[in-house]
Amino acid sequence: MSTTATLPESTEAPRRTVRSSRGLLGAAVGRSAQALVVIVLAYVLVFLVLAAIPGDPVSAQLDNPQAGFSDAEKARIRSFHGLDQPVLVQLVVSLGHAVQGDLGLSMATSQPVTQVIGAAIPSTLRLAVTALVLAVALAAALGLATRLLPEGRLNDLVRSLPTLFLSTPNFLIGLVLIQVLAVQLGLFSLVDSEGFASTVAAALTLAIPVSAQIAQVFITALDESAGQDYAEVALARGLPPAQVVLRHLLRPSLLPTVTVVGLVIGEVLGGSLITETIFGRAGIGMVVQKAVATQDVSVLLAAVVLSALVFVVVNLVIDLLYLLLDPRLRPSEVSR
Amino acid sequence: MTTAALTPGRTASQAAARRSGTVPVSVVVSAAVIAVVLLWSLVPGLVTGHDPAVGVPDDKFTAPGARYWLGTDHLGRDLLTRIVHGSASSMTSALVAVAIGVIVGGVLGLLGGYLGGWVDAVIGRLVDVLLAIPGFLLAVVVVTALGYDTRNAAIATGISAVAVFARLMRAEVLRVRTSVFIEAARVNGGSTLHILTRHVLPNALRPVLSLAVLQFGIAILVIAGLAFLGYGDPPPASDWGLLVSDGREHLLHAPWLVLAPGCVIAVVVLSVSRISRWLDQERNR
Repeated sequence: MSTTATLPESTEAPRRTVRSSRGLLGAAVGRSAQALVVIVLAYVLVFLVLAAIPGDPVSAQLDNPQAGFSDAEKARIRSFHGLDQPVLVQLVVSLGHAVQGDLGLSMATSQPVTQVIGAAIPSTLRLAVTALVLAVALAAALGLATRLLPEGRLNDLVRSLPTLFLSTPNFLIGLVLIQVLAVQLGLFSLVDSEGFASTVAAALTLAIPVSAQIAQVFITALDESAGQDYAEVALARGLPPAQVVLRHLLRPSLLPTVTVVGLVIGEVLGGSLITETIFGRAGIGMVVQKAVATQDVSVLLAAVVLSALVFVVVNLVIDLLYLLLDPRLRPSEVSR
Repeated sequence: MTTAALTPGRTASQAAARRSGTVPVSVVVSAAVIAVVLLWSLVPGLVTGHDPAVGVPDDKFTAPGARYWLGTDHLGRDLLTRIVHGSASSMTSALVAVAIGVIVGGVLGLLGGYLGGWVDAVIGRLVDVLLAIPGFLLAVVVVTALGYDTRNAAIATGISAVAVFARLMRAEVLRVRTSVFIEAARVNGGSTLHILTRHVLPNALRPVLSLAVLQFGIAILVIAGLAFLGYGDPPPASDWGLLVSDGREHLLHAPWLVLAPGCVIAVVVLSVSRISRWLDQERNR
């Protein structure tokens, strides 16, 4: 397996760079195509699941006798929304429009879906970015503490914190933060939900469980690097432990840690649903909540697919960065 | 300082437990917590003498004390009793969710990993899609389609867990598939079904089971989250997540209504994940 891959490269050294750069581009195109397929399939899957909802909001409004629509009007409005077509036809039409950036109209309010979602993006973006920054900082602090603190009770305590963070329901964290920071300490007002202090508190709610996942991977990676010969040699040569951690343990631990940072994007987006509800923020999570309450399928579909899109794109970018940064991962070197 | 920077892996107490071969104290405590909650679920009447649905109006918003251990709510109902009576629903739904994840995900992973080819490709894409949609959002979408109650919330949580089980099972099957004993079984004329159920499955199962324990904890959190948002059974049900959401309105003057059920969830999930981690370490010894 490995001989066939390495032989031509070792005999024809000059051609190697050409091959590997073509392999790099090929891999980049391949992964992007894969990501595209995943997003389209996510759209199809969510569409089909939501099609199982009995009834639809338009019919619910129309069938209300007080609305006073005639049968002909009902039929016309239903066909305007495409509700008189079979599900698969609706899917193809809706997917065709979505590809062109047209997500249709909200079934509850008749606003364009892109407007509804677009208005909510800034709030969630601020929340998610702040949460990620806090989570990474918290995880970094925990990870470095396990290396720099002497072995013993305190170190054990730091090591058990991620499990505690992961086990605490985020609504409990959020409500306690509100109770302590807003009500008792008066650091922010509950009315001004988009303010800086309120945003940080909401972000902390999201960041605590997320940091735990990052910290678990980071701590394991640090432990593994600490067991390597080069770390022992560095220490034996008389380098202070803090320097060993910074110079020799940190870099090899970053690769798996960055991977998990990409993966926790999903937790951040999913968790924003509860966090935004608790803190009263008008973001994507709140849009999803409202769409669920009114069975607004088109908005719900768009919000969920957008979340999947963000997740897939972030992880694609991380993947591609690895291909650039780590030659070992390039296809020409590892191909079968 | 020097030793901390160098010792790979475990903490001091874990290392001690490994040497002596005994079960760590934290695992024993965790098992006890789970046992207590199971007892609550099976015989809720045994633990408290109060009625979960009927309160004493004069005693409303009583702080935790001798008479009401965890205090009372806005109707004067004993909070501990409500938590105890809600545990059966919370535990059962988490169990249902994990069962769905293990069975559906396990079968998908088993088929994909063993059969390979287009079956693996199709299942692989499905798993990719399920992983790409944030788990909690997926659960919300599914429960919206099924209708709001605790059973559907459990199903939705299970579906959102299918992908992780499928991925792990597939990896395990790929590891086992190339073993000599599988080859021997095939040479001996074993059918695919026979090889899958008698040879591949038993060898791939242990890591899947330890993931199942971990996912049980996560399922409790997800279901509590769905109940908190109102996608579970409506009141007077007393699922733990619903209790927190009910108590939210009274957070200012009766914080125990939020703290007590919230902490019960945290302690149970913590215990479950401690047990799961211990099982994992035992396996890797």
